[in-house]
Amino acid sequence: MKYEWKVTGGAAAFLAATGLLYWFTSYENSGTVMLGFSFAAYGMLGGFLLLCWFRRKRIPRPEDNPDATQEDGAGEVAFFPAASIWPAGIGLGAIFCAVALIYGNWYWIIGLPLIIGAVIGFTVEAESGLDQVDELHAEAAKRAAEEHPDGTDGVHESHAEHSERS
Amino acid sequence: MTILHERPAGAEPEFGPGRVEPLTEIIPGPRPHGWVRFITSTDHKQIGLNYMVTAFIGFLTAGLMAEGIRTQLAVPNNHFVTLDTFNQLFTMHGTIMLFVFLGPFAFGLANYIVPLQIGAPDMAFPRFNNLSYWLYLGGFLILLFSFMTNNGAADFGWFGYAPLTESIHSPGPGADMWIIGIALTGFSGIFTAVNTISTIFCLRAPGMVMFRMPIFCWNQMVTMFLVLLAFPVLTSAMAMLWLDRHLNTHFYDPNGGGQPILWQNLFWFFGHPEVYILALPYFGVVTEVIATMSKKPVFGYKGMVAATLSIGGLSMGVWAHHMYTTGAVLLPFFAGMSLLIAVPTGIKFFNWIGTMWRGTITLSTPMLFCIGFLMMFLLGGLTGVILAQPPLDFQLHNTYFVVAHFHYVMFGGSVFVVFASIYYWFPKYTGRMLDERLGKLSFVLLFVGFNLTFFPQHDLGLRGMSRRIATYPDNLGYNFLNLLSSIGAYITGIGVIPTLWNIFRSLRHGKIAGDNPWDGQTLEWATSSPPPEHNFEALPPIRSERPLWDANHPDMLTQAGH
Repeated sequence: MKYEWKVTGGAAAFLAATGLLYWFTSYENSGTVMLGFSFAAYGMLGGFLLLCWFRRKRIPRPEDNPDATQEDGAGEVAFFPAASIWPAGIGLGAIFCAVALIYGNWYWIIGLPLIIGAVIGFTVEAESGLDQVDELHAEAAKRAAEEHPDGTDGVHESHAEHSERS
Repeated sequence: MTILHERPAGAEPEFGPGRVEPLTEIIPGPRPHGWVRFITSTDHKQIGLNYMVTAFIGFLTAGLMAEGIRTQLAVPNNHFVTLDTFNQLFTMHGTIMLFVFLGPFAFGLANYIVPLQIGAPDMAFPRFNNLSYWLYLGGFLILLFSFMTNNGAADFGWFGYAPLTESIHSPGPGADMWIIGIALTGFSGIFTAVNTISTIFCLRAPGMVMFRMPIFCWNQMVTMFLVLLAFPVLTSAMAMLWLDRHLNTHFYDPNGGGQPILWQNLFWFFGHPEVYILALPYFGVVTEVIATMSKKPVFGYKGMVAATLSIGGLSMGVWAHHMYTTGAVLLPFFAGMSLLIAVPTGIKFFNWIGTMWRGTITLSTPMLFCIGFLMMFLLGGLTGVILAQPPLDFQLHNTYFVVAHFHYVMFGGSVFVVFASIYYWFPKYTGRMLDERLGKLSFVLLFVGFNLTFFPQHDLGLRGMSRRIATYPDNLGYNFLNLLSSIGAYITGIGVIPTLWNIFRSLRHGKIAGDNPWDGQTLEWATSSPPPEHNFEALPPIRSERPLWDANHPDMLTQAGH
């Protein structure tokens, strides 16, 4: 977050300055409105990143620390599904809805259920994926306990614990 | 079904052949193959390749349309296609080249290369990534199928000025399919932008601070910033146009009190950042290729970053330089901003030449394409400075001079770099090299053909030939230059064939590339070719903007301050 908020905040400041200059030289509505909204978009993003930076008490993340090692980044990074049919389902539904805008409203009957169903599948899949992750962590912990009966391996923590903490 | 990614908690893995510590823990699950993999994969590399292959098919389609346009214009009073078909051809040529080919090809590169260069296991939102590909493909198919409707495809030019686009002037579903197709590709662009920005902000490897990212990643990031500002405006402009056509609103219809100029403002507020969306990622590729092939760090790294950021910023304030002749815009503001953009672009040229200066240059095919880019983009940029000045633009607006200008920027600039990127990263995608001789043949044909096509068009524009005319009488002095231009177009078309054949053949019979065929400097060459699922088995320590070079050449460490 150390540089990110500066880049986005800088973009917002530039857009605000351009918008003001544009308004006071041209008094033209549409361009000023668009520049204003552009400023708002990047202002929000920059402000959010600045808040994150303060919430971290300005301690750099490993990727903001020029001297970080791979060790500093250890631990869970993110959740990455390997393959999923649901995005294609949402996409197909969206295309049917798009065709409905061209040819007639009856395409909604195909498109909307596809989108809704696929969105449900998409969400449920993420949940069940997390369960699977927990199971795997439990197995790994069991294996580690068998191999090193005196202590844990210290790396794996279940997703549940992780999410409780954060 | 799922994968959890972890970084190792042990000692820092030794970088080199003896590495053992795995970077990822992969949960077993179905790993589909073939068509199912194509549809369901959330791997950023698969999606990136999908994007690039689809985009290249778009390039070939729109390229065929261009050959049709040039055949019609080769001789005066020609009747190769009907007048209406001609209008459809140039409209869809522009639309497909911009919305389906150049932009999405860059999104494909962003998908494939950015996570590899910053040491990330995948994009931040892998399933959204997959969804954005389907929206893009749907948009492409809708645009293509519009040729099969009863009135044919859209025929009002790629920027679709109101009120010509209103339902009374352009009836039929062709125009609607144009609106909806573009809106879908627009949504896909927005998703990709969100994804890429989150990836760059949140998934960098430890030690990869922002000011150590390769210039390519910086350029992609600024591009995606622009996408986030420009594409929503386009999509909402399209929605308003759809409302005008179907629900009798009057946003752009002067008969109902609407303002056609509003469409121009909205469209170009998207349209000019779009030009940089199509150019900045390719500037990034050029920077990577030139640095690697010269075996030097990028000259003036921070200057390059500053130039990219200022091009991105300034491009938000120049939209109305497409609208000088409407008489409804503030000329000094837009002329000044447009001329200012020449400054950061000049810095980039200076730094590219500075990177090559006293380097050990390998004239491989990607490097040749990049040098071709430097020459032709410079020409396109200079004619851009000419067109940015209102007095000159009033003379040249809507002539072939403008056509020549933006083809020098988009073809001589971006498309040449598309070819450079194919030759540069094909070993990473497939593990095999492309044939250098075929590549050089392709470069020579494209270079000669391109210049033969578009250089005469400058003169045609100065002689007063306006763009988008379907034919011309034979007494205006246009004949010879048009014939020359058409012959050039055929040579350009032939120039694509060696590359296609090269790709087709090298997939099976190319030389085995190895992990790092070009002695690269950035992290994408630190993994195997093609990279394994979730990319890295071990990362070298990241202590400069070219970590792999430092790991491979400990005697020539990158000095800080470059």
